[in-house]
Amino acid sequence: MKNKIYIGLLLIAVIFQGSIFQVEARQINYKSAEFKAVASQFACTCGCGQDHYECDPNTCNLTTEFKKDLVEMMNKGWDKDKIRKYYVNIYGEEILTSPEKSGFSLMAWVLPFVVLGAAAAALFFIIRKWVKKKGAEEVVVTEYDNTEEEVEGEILSSMIDEERKKYL
Amino acid sequence: MFLFANATIYIGLAIAIYSLLIITLGISTKNQKFINSGKGGLIALFVCAALAMLSLFYLLATSQFQYEYVHDYTSSELPIIYKLTALWAGNAGSLLLWTFFLTLYMVMIVFSRKMKGNPMVPYISAILLANAVFFFFILGFVAKPFLLLDTVPIEGKGLNPMLQNPGMIIHPVTLYLGYVGLAIPFAFAMAALILKNVDDFWIKATRRWTIIAWLFLSLGNIFGGQWAYVELGWGGYWAWDPVENASFMPWLTATAFLHSVMIQERKNMLKIWNISLIIVSYALTLFGTFLVRSGVLTSVHAFANSNLGLYFLIFMAVAVILALYVLMSRYNMLKRSAGEFQSFVSKESSFLVNNLLLVGAAFAVFWGTIFPLVSEAVRGTKVTVGLPFFNKVEAPILLSMMFVMAVCPMLAWQRSTVKNLKKNFTIPAILAVLGMILMVKLGIQKAWAVIGYGVIILLLITHYLEFYRGVKARRKMTKETPFVALYRLMIRNRRRYGGYIVHLGIAFITMGIIGSQNYDLETMKTVDLGQSIEIKDYRLNYERLDQKREGINDIVYADITVFKNGKKLGSFQPEKVFYGNWEQPSSEVAIISSLKEDLYIVLSAWEDDGRATFVVKVNPMMNWLWFGSFMIVIGALFAVWNGKYGNVTPRYTGVRREVS
Repeated sequence: MKNKIYIGLLLIAVIFQGSIFQVEARQINYKSAEFKAVASQFACTCGCGQDHYECDPNTCNLTTEFKKDLVEMMNKGWDKDKIRKYYVNIYGEEILTSPEKSGFSLMAWVLPFVVLGAAAAALFFIIRKWVKKKGAEEVVVTEYDNTEEEVEGEILSSMIDEERKKYL
Repeated sequence: MFLFANATIYIGLAIAIYSLLIITLGISTKNQKFINSGKGGLIALFVCAALAMLSLFYLLATSQFQYEYVHDYTSSELPIIYKLTALWAGNAGSLLLWTFFLTLYMVMIVFSRKMKGNPMVPYISAILLANAVFFFFILGFVAKPFLLLDTVPIEGKGLNPMLQNPGMIIHPVTLYLGYVGLAIPFAFAMAALILKNVDDFWIKATRRWTIIAWLFLSLGNIFGGQWAYVELGWGGYWAWDPVENASFMPWLTATAFLHSVMIQERKNMLKIWNISLIIVSYALTLFGTFLVRSGVLTSVHAFANSNLGLYFLIFMAVAVILALYVLMSRYNMLKRSAGEFQSFVSKESSFLVNNLLLVGAAFAVFWGTIFPLVSEAVRGTKVTVGLPFFNKVEAPILLSMMFVMAVCPMLAWQRSTVKNLKKNFTIPAILAVLGMILMVKLGIQKAWAVIGYGVIILLLITHYLEFYRGVKARRKMTKETPFVALYRLMIRNRRRYGGYIVHLGIAFITMGIIGSQNYDLETMKTVDLGQSIEIKDYRLNYERLDQKREGINDIVYADITVFKNGKKLGSFQPEKVFYGNWEQPSSEVAIISSLKEDLYIVLSAWEDDGRATFVVKVNPMMNWLWFGSFMIVIGALFAVWNGKYGNVTPRYTGVRREVS
């Protein structure tokens, strides 16, 4: 019985929510590219791990209200940067799905590429060192003019190996 | 049963400690009897873990709700398969599964024919046993699977409905097999270092293990993505959640390792690098577990928060410090044997660039994952690092990786001259550029998509040429028919051609990702009964809204007839399920799949008068993603298959000891 009441309540909640965003949806489709550009900037804090564009209004009250507010602002003619600033002022940077590209948060964006660049430079010097070292003491290697010959060489040596195993 | 089940854990712990001590003693006193006793302990340990698993399976299957774990994750009406798979739904059970895999791997390694009489065995056993002691300790004192409740509840809490999906049965199992699998090459590397063996025996001996662990890790991620796609009603498959990142990082470093070992095998170089890579990969598997179980980061995957994560962090720290100590103490020996390069442009260099990019990508993921913590620690401000960040940062790195993958097969070992670069790359490069121009003409104009597909065209051509040249060369000598030549060429060089098949699989996955990320369409509409929704070439007629009852669940569903270009595709039923024993309802999406695209229909909401709101998505090229995943499996299996050729047991030439 308790379960039934519960399901009933849930159904009512779902239907009620449906009618709320229904009114707004006439103006701006929650799944339009226009709305996505604005809403996907903000992380939903209900624990779903999604942004306010993805988060399902039927299971999350938080996003229902948030979406409504976004649509209101969009109807007022605010662009996505203005809306972004507005929310960052209230909630801080945490509300954004990705860190700002300024101040300390710039580190998040830049560091991977700085490290990659530094590692690439290091790699360049290491290879150069190795190549130079080779110049000093010549090693005996089988030189192939191109990959085709190399493949042939490999196949040939594997066949010789096979034969050798058969008879020896 | 309670006593028996708990006994398996505590006796297991005792045996693990005993075996670890006796093997260490055996190594130091060079007493084979002690070593043999420890090896016997390994079998006993495996039996303990297996019996613990069986006990928990039995308790779950027979719904013995007096056990906390059974009560928390199952209910009596749950289908038997989900009752059983609830074993890995929670903390304690999943760690038990992990422990079981670890003991299984241990027995397989130590008693394998190839390792018979090998002096590395005691060392490998000791290292793996240290892991086993940790896991049995956790099972015995931190996350206990066999806790009894004070009262006997009549019903359990039930399994999260989201987890009641075939993808979820297999996703954790494959992921754990991958995680545990990486402990094997790690143990071999450490054993080789301790024994002062600086040759590549450990790499050759664990080659298969590494590929198998890598395959399971790939499968774990793929099944996870597939589950998210069909079950979450969100239309995506990868969200860069901290936990997804945690399993992606070791995948990247293990991929780097699989490539860089080839340099060591061929040129006797990069020894320190390879050992570092395997240490990092192993540490990342523990770090991932720390992230999932500690609750330190917000994640959709998080298990119940507990101090379990802390234990993993400590264990990881100890393991890494010890490993680095061993590495440093052997540094001079490893350094001494460094070789040299012939030229800047060679296959060797391209492997190094490959490593640079893969490890760079792993670092970027790591940095993004921990940045919220860094930011909070440094300036006290929390930030969220989500999907847009990772997409932007990873896309250029991984695309460069695809480019290296396209170019690498055409580069010669040792040295590529300008002449052969021209010869090898002129045609593929021209074709790739033509392909890109054609794409722009056909209306594909997003820069990422054009560049990405251009690189993939190059990759497909170079890989085709690689097969073609091999077949041509073989036929020149053997006069075989093309198919026979191709078959024989491939089975005689399994690792190389298996690797190429995996590359092709990755190319297909990338095509799917680029297509579905750049060209997806989405709409949300509320329609009256009998009305229709149009998206792209599709028309969806909303025919009926109804409710049915299945077991204790109430299901609301809509009948929708789908037409494409006026042609009927059939009737489909997206559903919303309200569970008898779970708060959150979930969406069962209707997916109409084709090679070109998926039509993804979600029933979102409805009203009394029958009006309903649907979210409809068109996700292009999703099937390419799944097909590519399938090719990865085929390629990896092909590479490790126990064929007739090239299956030589590596010869141990390292240090001899009295014990083995």
